[in-house]
Amino acid sequence: MEFNPGFNSSQTPPLSVNLLHVRARGENDTLHFLLCSQGAPALLVVHTNTSSSSVKVDWSRFLSDDVSGSVKVEPKGSVRYSSALVFSRLWEYDDVNDTADPAKLPPSSFFPPYELQNFTWGDLNRTTNQIAHRAKLCGSDGSERFFNGSFCLGFSAFESEGRDGSWPRLLYNANSSQLKFWLEGVKERSNFSRFLLELQYVGSSNLPSRVETLRSIDDEYTPSIFQVSQWVSSPPNATTPILGYVQWKPVAYRKATPALVDATPCRHSTPLLMEQLPPSGLVLAYFGKGYEASGLNMTFSIAGDPFYNTTHYLSWSMLVGLGSPPTESFSPLVITIMALGLGIPLLLILLGAICVCIQKQRSGPRGYVPIN
Amino acid sequence: TEEEEKEKKEGRHDEDDGDERGSGGGGSRTMAAICDPTRWPHRIIVLSLMCFLGFGSYFCYDNPSALQQQVKQDMDLNTSSFMQLYAWYSWPNVVLCFLGGFLLDRVFGIRLGTIIFSLFVCVGQVIFAAGALFNAFWLMILGRFVFGIGGESLAVAQNTYAVNWFKGKGLNLVFGLQLSMARLGSTVNMNVMGLVYENIRGLRDGTGYTTLGITLMIAAATCVFSLICALVLGYLDRRAERILKKEVCSTGEVIKLTDVKDFPLSLWLIFIICVGYYVAIFPFIGLGQVFFIEKFNFSPVQASAINSIVYIISAPASPLLGFLVDKTGKNIIWVLMAVIITLASHMMLAFTFWNPWIAMCLLGVSYSLLACALWPMVAFVVPEHQLGTAYGFMQSIQNLGLALIAMAAGAILDSRGYLFLEVFFCACVCSEYSSGEGLVFPGGELNLSTSARARLQKDTLSHSE
Repeated sequence: MEFNPGFNSSQTPPLSVNLLHVRARGENDTLHFLLCSQGAPALLVVHTNTSSSSVKVDWSRFLSDDVSGSVKVEPKGSVRYSSALVFSRLWEYDDVNDTADPAKLPPSSFFPPYELQNFTWGDLNRTTNQIAHRAKLCGSDGSERFFNGSFCLGFSAFESEGRDGSWPRLLYNANSSQLKFWLEGVKERSNFSRFLLELQYVGSSNLPSRVETLRSIDDEYTPSIFQVSQWVSSPPNATTPILGYVQWKPVAYRKATPALVDATPCRHSTPLLMEQLPPSGLVLAYFGKGYEASGLNMTFSIAGDPFYNTTHYLSWSMLVGLGSPPTESFSPLVITIMALGLGIPLLLILLGAICVCIQKQRSGPRGYVPIN
Repeated sequence: TEEEEKEKKEGRHDEDDGDERGSGGGGSRTMAAICDPTRWPHRIIVLSLMCFLGFGSYFCYDNPSALQQQVKQDMDLNTSSFMQLYAWYSWPNVVLCFLGGFLLDRVFGIRLGTIIFSLFVCVGQVIFAAGALFNAFWLMILGRFVFGIGGESLAVAQNTYAVNWFKGKGLNLVFGLQLSMARLGSTVNMNVMGLVYENIRGLRDGTGYTTLGITLMIAAATCVFSLICALVLGYLDRRAERILKKEVCSTGEVIKLTDVKDFPLSLWLIFIICVGYYVAIFPFIGLGQVFFIEKFNFSPVQASAINSIVYIISAPASPLLGFLVDKTGKNIIWVLMAVIITLASHMMLAFTFWNPWIAMCLLGVSYSLLACALWPMVAFVVPEHQLGTAYGFMQSIQNLGLALIAMAAGAILDSRGYLFLEVFFCACVCSEYSSGEGLVFPGGELNLSTSARARLQKDTLSHSE
């Protein structure tokens, strides 16, 4: 984990430019995770097929207006796959009729969006925990609505497979990183305010992206959620493996300590191809020709759920990773209970059958003679 | 829990059916048929009053289930506190199962007793609703407690009335009708309360605990209606007593707690089956609505409908299956079958995305089958003078189990989700299956077919002669 890689400390540190680089080195490949707040916050993931690849930043150009090509992963030929997730806008809308369906609302019920590229972001370096591989990026637009509030992204990278302690407890592995978005204490512009988040996924133009929703019978780690959605980019040919993904469960929480009562469903719109790359410094600096972005809106809450102003909190987590997304399986506890629960009766049936057989054999030949 | 009462009465009173036939038949012939307690038109009025007597309590018992999401949201509850609403209904009945019959027989008398229990139900529901109106959860709990005091005992009173008026004149049919009415109450509740809430919300233009309180107050109207039935029934019963000079009716229950030490092992196994089975049904129905919405993408209305299917099926299936079990005997086999079907349907719900209607219909059938086969079995293993104690004990244990498991189920759901909850229910069902297996081997008599049982009875009779 390193902060502002290659940045010469003798230069004056630029305000609110944060570039966090996490390198995960495998036996014969390396994964790079780059989180940056230059412009709209973005997470760039790069997969290289050598264990010695590195990130090079041309800082003078990266901080200038012409950023194109200023962030590189070297050696260049080793890059197998790269993509980025960008948080571009936060929309707030006035849901007077409590439909929670922005697609059906007139444009007049939308407030001007918060453009995340115009936000001032806190210092990533101070919130980075090198041991736990965590970092927190919080920002505000400087207006009075964000006086006590913030838009935050919590980033975690992992060394091995596992789950977070708190819901939604997504299953992560070493090939993934987790981003948790939360919106706390923001002053709402209406008593019926709900939010939606605009996300953009940048990838190679010949790898179209799509969102697939898988149903699962297992809700042990995220109670009452039986679905997992993943935004994947894979070649149109279905047999080839998935190269990168953003995975989430369709649930957001209305309180800082998630509980079943405070869960609120979220829905995504179909991804649309964007005309240009999102306004993130990192994306513009790394991606050149041959890459394009697709965007979707994530809507929080459904009709009837409390509005944002009841708790002034909203959180939602997702995994951003490389390779195939992790798939859930039954926990050992469930399997043990099932094995015991089904095994004991089966054993009893067998025992019973044997007992009956023996009894019949013994009493069979004697027969039964009625006395009367 | 009302089935056991019915079965109990049926078992006990069928034998002396002939006793009172035609007693008081010489009442005044000048009265109009509708006013004459000896004639059918009047009896039908009494019968409908009896049926509606329990309607309110059955309607309101499952109010929390029908409004699960609304209650949790408006009162800001997690699932385990929500399930307290069911647990606190069961607590008083752990004791009252023994006392209900005694109170009716010795302390209040049937008429006053019925009115008092109806009042408890009514007041309990009103307190429950007031708790929602004032946003005080402890008040809601208190309401459920008071409601519970009245609820189960009212079922005892209802059965006593039925025996008193219809002994020897189609008592089984009357019990059947009362049961169907109870199921109707639950079903109507499941399907209607959500709509009532929606309408109130529309009128008030907002959710919140006040809306919930008003909705529950409206539900309380059914209890008031049942109370009125109790009053009218009390009046008619006194009038009939005056005209026919019939004896005061009693529940006929004799409960001696010292009998417990004489209970055979097989009875304890029956208790385990009973608890294991009912805890896998009622708490599941209590929590079912959200499960169907989340896992199977049902709309709230559909989810209520499917959640009530168990009750709907059991209304017509109970008499049919009862007839089947009566004809064939072999109660244990039927019980084991019911348990296996239940296990299968729980597993379907847990591990597949198959249409849940299949699983829930199976659950409905198995529930009716178990009720028909299990309750009469008690009569085969304990002598008749201990029956009252045995049934009282069984209900008491069942209520204890329901209260505990309701809370456990809520906590499991809060921390581990529905899959784990279903696995837990499967484990409950498996444990009772094991007890069922235990019953097959030691006993000769429990698993006899009807003809064999009759032969045995004849043998013992001829021996004793």
